[in-house]
Formats: sequence, structure tokens, C-alpha cells
Amino acid sequence: MKNLIVSLLVLVALSGMVFAQGGSEESWPNKNINLTVPYNAGGTTDLTARALGNGMSKVLGVTINVVNTPGAGGSAGTLNVQNAKVDGYTMLANGMLAFTTMPINGYTDKTFRDWDIWIATYAPNTIIVPKNSPYNTIQDLIEAIRKNPGKITAGTAGIGSGGHFGAETVKAIAGADYKHITYAGGAAAVTATLSGEVDFCPQLLAEFKDLIIAGEVKALASLAEEDIEIAPGVVIPSILDTYPEAAKFVPMGEVTGILIPKGLDEAKLAKIDAAFQSAVKEKDFLDFCSLKSFTVNPMGRAESQAYLEKFASKACYLMYDAGATTIDPAKFGINR
Amino acid sequence: MTAQYLLNAILTVLTPINLLFLVLSTTAGLMMGVLPGLSATMAIALLTGLTYNFPTQSALIALIGVYVGSISGGCQSAILLNIPGTPASAATALDGFPIAKQGKGGLGIFLATTVSCLGTIISVIFVLTLTPMLTSMALKFASWEFFLLSIFGILICGAITAQGKAVKGWISGILGLLVAMIGLDTVDTFARFSYGNVNMMSGIQLIPVMIGLFGFPEIVKSFKGDGASEIQKLTKFKAREGFKLVGKNIGTIIRSAFIGVGVGIIPGVGEDVGGWLSYWATKSLSSEEEKQTFGTGNPRGVISAETGNNACIGGAIIPVLSLAVPGSAPAAVLLAAFLMHGYRPGPLLMTESPDFVYNVGIYLVFAAIAMWVIALLMAKVTVRVLRMNKKILMPIIYVLCIIGSYLINYNMFDIKVMFAFGIVGMFLSYMDCPPAPFLLGVILGPMADSNLRRALRLSDGSFAPMFQRPICIVFLIVIAAMILSQLGVFRQLKKVNTRRKTA
Repeated sequence: MKNLIVSLLVLVALSGMVFAQGGSEESWPNKNINLTVPYNAGGTTDLTARALGNGMSKVLGVTINVVNTPGAGGSAGTLNVQNAKVDGYTMLANGMLAFTTMPINGYTDKTFRDWDIWIATYAPNTIIVPKNSPYNTIQDLIEAIRKNPGKITAGTAGIGSGGHFGAETVKAIAGADYKHITYAGGAAAVTATLSGEVDFCPQLLAEFKDLIIAGEVKALASLAEEDIEIAPGVVIPSILDTYPEAAKFVPMGEVTGILIPKGLDEAKLAKIDAAFQSAVKEKDFLDFCSLKSFTVNPMGRAESQAYLEKFASKACYLMYDAGATTIDPAKFGINR
Repeated sequence: MTAQYLLNAILTVLTPINLLFLVLSTTAGLMMGVLPGLSATMAIALLTGLTYNFPTQSALIALIGVYVGSISGGCQSAILLNIPGTPASAATALDGFPIAKQGKGGLGIFLATTVSCLGTIISVIFVLTLTPMLTSMALKFASWEFFLLSIFGILICGAITAQGKAVKGWISGILGLLVAMIGLDTVDTFARFSYGNVNMMSGIQLIPVMIGLFGFPEIVKSFKGDGASEIQKLTKFKAREGFKLVGKNIGTIIRSAFIGVGVGIIPGVGEDVGGWLSYWATKSLSSEEEKQTFGTGNPRGVISAETGNNACIGGAIIPVLSLAVPGSAPAAVLLAAFLMHGYRPGPLLMTESPDFVYNVGIYLVFAAIAMWVIALLMAKVTVRVLRMNKKILMPIIYVLCIIGSYLINYNMFDIKVMFAFGIVGMFLSYMDCPPAPFLLGVILGPMADSNLRRALRLSDGSFAPMFQRPICIVFLIVIAAMILSQLGVFRQLKKVNTRRKTA
């Protein structure tokens, strides 16, 4: 009797597995999708991913679970997805600054060309200073850096963070170095700016938008191509207003999107295309983006690849020339 | 105006659907808190996703309920099993477990739960009255202060937990600091001690270390000796005795709540440190005679640790509301949830949605009360684990430990970390080294390391600024005094003095 029950149970379990297998081949998706965010919950990438995932799940008809796997500057979670089975049930949401510079940081040999990518948003870098800072315009700050090379401190979220790219752009414009002070995240860098521990902070606008409106910090310039009005009467000038020669460096900022390693069949990719296009038009997503001062700039797969060729070159060479890495981007076919 | 906002907030909570959310989320939070490995941060992060489509106020109530519940729930496993359910309740185990061993587990949980509730409510009063003033205090903390605070935290934890042998506690703390060095450092993103392994590069996760250090030795211990003698008798718990103890220690509770709020406000330092600091303050302010009883089941130990960690909740929410800078890891996730529901905490909050602060405050109070009722009902069941045969109970705990480690990042590597630190925990317990400073070392290690290096980079390698900042000087004096007193220097001076007088 006992044997019979056991063998019946095994049979049921086995048949369940067989059917589950058969089902997943027929109609994708038929179970929940995991969307990996390689950072902690609550960060900018995480919030963007959740807003996007929620919109996409409405079209795909299954729940999209956000899984946070922070660590190693976002590379741990990215590698998890890269090494997982490509079946459409594992997706990645990432910022392109960290993502496109992974090969030159020695994390992987694969580049953005090995992924299918859908870009959703652009968030510009903005240069802020403490409210009692002696610098009132971007010119004041750039002149100070030129006069005291290596002395003016910039607080960022670390090497390869959005803020680091902003600081490197400032350096390129000034033609003189700054002193890089790194913090455990964007929030910590902003706090240090509020307390006056650093001279300026070149993180993303979304991270301190309200502090600018409230007058807790002064915004000198954004690294976008145009002036940005973040509240009635509160306009952040573009750096091009003062330094038109900076055109080759801007727009600088973080670009965020959804990624899947290449290898998924075209039918499934087309479904994701449709879900993505619908998600970026969702009211909740648009509200979230305007709250954060993100530019919604959706790009399909082909468009994203073309955009990233230029973006990756800019990002990789900025880091390589800054001496932040010794691996030549040319090794991965990323050219200037 | 204020009264109007408060009244509206109360009426919102009292609608049937919101009361249901409050009870469900607080219960869920308590359960996550009780289970080792499921931390407050994770509880809120999970619920943030789930509440995405809820009505805004209901979602806020649910999130705050789960926050208060999970921070408070950790005390039950700390008291009953000597395995803290969350890192925040590690200090509670110190006196809580001995109380349970004496058969008074019910009293231990009653005390911990009641003061958790009181600690939360006192911290709410701070949120509602002093937010702007306290925010400016948080900004006084820069790199040097963070560095000294983390060293101070590890030193006091070492001195408290190693009964009379502070050096052993400090050894344990320094080992923890060394473990925290593994992985990419936050200053230069340089991989240290990672041997090319991607998992090591991400650093050692806190929760598997905690489960290993505390859980493993308890599991192994339960299989040593014969099981029959392990089954403990329970003395019946009388509520009147509990209330009397709480009433007698109202001073301790208020002091611990002050400390908890203060620790909570400082960005990056959270519930775990709040418990230790409050415990230390209570112990050092008590009489010589009473100091001996800490660690052997002194109810004041439980009272101060649990008030301290819960008061951090209000403290940690203060900078979230005023600057959008979270004061602790769970508060960071809460900030994300606020943003998701269309609120923009930060300097514009008071002009854009002035009712929000009052809503949060009132929800916290109701969550604290709900937590108190539910936790005490739960305790009626959980206390029974003391009567269970450890040889049956512990394998269940063991499975929970493995699941808890895995759930952090859905990564098998974390289970291996749990095993490795389980063995480390066994060694520590053989050597009489307390595991708590080790854990705090892992928590505060990155803070000590990166802040010291950042401060030195800002000052071009000079230590001088450390001696020029007022908060730093206070820390330095307290640290020096503690090291000297623990090494017995003061006692010897006294001896020399009295000898001189008699001579």
C-alpha cells in the first residue's frame, strides 16, 4: 500500500514536470518573469525597472517580479542574467553607463552587442554646489579648477558611476583635474554636498531635483543639450550656454533600459517589443519620469544598438583616458 | 490645521479595509522578523512590489506596518532561541535568552514587545515635532565622525558582550572588520581578497554571516548531551509583573528612545547600532553591583536594547521626510515605496503635501499598537518552542537558516557563506569570544574603512582634522576612557590612590 502511494506520488510529480516543460515551449510567457535589477531596491534603476515592468506585465499577461541582486557595481546581477538560460523568463534592467563599461572593467568579455536592448529613459548629469559655496556660475567653478588643479573636490557615487562621468566631463572642459571623493551611493554623495564636505557634486539631476527647488543646493549647469525647467521659474542652464565647445561631450547622463542576452527567438522578441512600446506610454510610467525629470526617449532594439555604439565609445574612453581602467576599449572593438 | 491633519489620518486608518491591511501587514512583518534571514529591509522591499497597485493610503499603512512588525519581531527568536531574527535584535539576545532559560520566556517577550511599541511611539513624537531641527544635526556627521562612530560601536559591543574580558570581544570585532574588507572597496572599486571570484567580489552578505554565527552553534549545541534535560519548564507569566517592570524602568525607556532616535537620524547607521548604544548607556549608568547582572538575564538589558532599535524607526524616517536621504537600510526601501506612490519626500514635502508627515506619524503609532497586540498573541504560540525537544526543533530551524540565506540574493554562494561562518561561529563559541561584535564588525566595517580613507583623501593624508571637530573630540574621549577602563587602568589608579592615603 505504502509503495503504491509513493509510486503514485512520483508519477504525479513527474507528469507535472513534463507538462510544465511542454507548456513553456508552446506559448511564451506562461509563468512569471523575473526582472533582475543589479542594484538595491529604491535606487533610480530599480524604480525605473518597476515602473516599466508593471507596464509590460499588462501586455504580456504575467507578473514581472523585480529581483534585486546588488553587488560589484551592478556587474554581479548582470553576470547572473548573462549566465542564465535565455528563455525569456529572465530579463535585466540596467543603466548603460555601468553596463557598457563592464568589459573594460574586466567583468566580462561580452559587450552590449551581445544583448538585445530596449532603451527607455535619459537622465542628465547636473553640477550642484553647497548653498553657501563661493561658486555661483559654472564659470566660477571651472575657473577655480583651472587655478587649483587637483584641489577642488567632487563627490560622486564611485568609480564608473553616473557622477564620475559627470566629473570627468567637467575635467575635460576645464582641462585640469579635480579631486575625486567617492561615496557609497548617490544619496551619500548628495548628503556630503549638503554638509559642505565636498566642493561640487556632478550626480544625476533626479537625485537632488527637490533640493535645488528648495534652495538647499545651487545648480550651476546640466550636461544636457538644452536648458531644463524643473519647476516654474527654476531653470537649470545647459553647460553649452557657457561652453559651446563642450558639445562633443554632451548629452552626458544615465540611460536606462531593459536587456536580454541574444539568443531569444524572433517571435518572443516581437512580443517584448510590443510590451515595451506600450509600457513607455503608460500614464504611471510617464508620471514617474516627469517626477524624476527623466526624458522619456524610447528606442527599439536596432535603434538602441546604434545609440550605444556612440554612447559606449564615449563612456569607455572617458574611463580609459582617466586611468580608471587599464583595459583598452579597442580590444572589444569599441572605437573612439 | 495640525489637529485637522491628525484627525484625518486617524479616520483613514480606522476604515475597515485599512485596518485589515494594518493587521495583515503587521502580522506578516512580525513573521518575517521572527524568521532568521528574512530582514526588515527584505520585508519592505517585497511589499513595495506587492502594493504597487494598492490605493495610496492603504499601501502606506501596509508598508509602515511591515516595517514596525519586522523590526519588533526579531526579538522573539533572539529571546527564545538565542538566534536574532534580524541583525537589529542581536543586543536583545544578550539578556533575553538568559531570561528565557530561567523559564520566563513569556515575560521576556512581553517586555521586549511593550518597549518596542513605546520606543516607536516616542520616536513618532520626535518625527512630528522636531524634524527640521534634527535634520540639521544629521548633517553635522561627515567622514571623520562616521569613522569614529563605527569604531566606537564595535568597541562598546565588544566590551558589553564579553563578560569581563573585553579584549576577547574586541578580537571578535576586529575579525568582523577584516571580513568586511572582502570584495570591491567603495572608494576605488578595487577588488580585495576576492581571488578573481565574482561572488567574493560582491562582498560577504550580512544575513548569511548572521545566521551562520548565531544559528549554527545553537543547532550543534542542541545535539550535544541528552535531549531530555534540554526541555525547559515554563513558569506562568503574569501581565501585572511585566507592567510593573516597564513602569519601574520608564527612565531607561525614555533615555534609550532618545539614543535610538539619534542613531536613526544619522544616515547609514540603523536599527542594529541603536540597540547596542542604548544597551551600553543603560549598563554604564547602572551601579557597580547591577553591572554584573547584565548578560545573565537583567530585564533592563532587554528593555534598553528593544526600545533603542525600535526608536530608530522614527529617527530613520526623519531625514527621509526632510531631505529624501534615508537614515537606515529599511528606510531606504521605504523611501522608494513613498516615491512609487507619488509622494516626494524631501524639502518640498511640507509645501506640497503637508498632511503626509502627519499620516506617516499616525500610521506608525497605529502600527506600533497593532504590533503590540499581535506580537503578544503570537507569543502565546511561539513560547511553546521552549518546551519542544530541541532535537526536533533545531533541524527545522536549520532548514529555515538555509532558506533565509538563499533568499537574500537567490544565490547558492550565500548558503556556502552561511556554512563557513557557522564553523567560524563554533570556533568563537569554543574560545569564549562573543559572536555579536563579529557581526557588528561586518556591519560597520565598510563604514569605518571607506570613511577613514575618504577623510584622509580630503585632508591630503593629515589626521589633524580629526582633533579639530567637536563631535570627533567627544568620541575620542569616550573611546579612550572605555579602553582604559576595560583594561583596568582606572581600578589600578584607585588602588594606588587609596594605598597612598593609608600610607
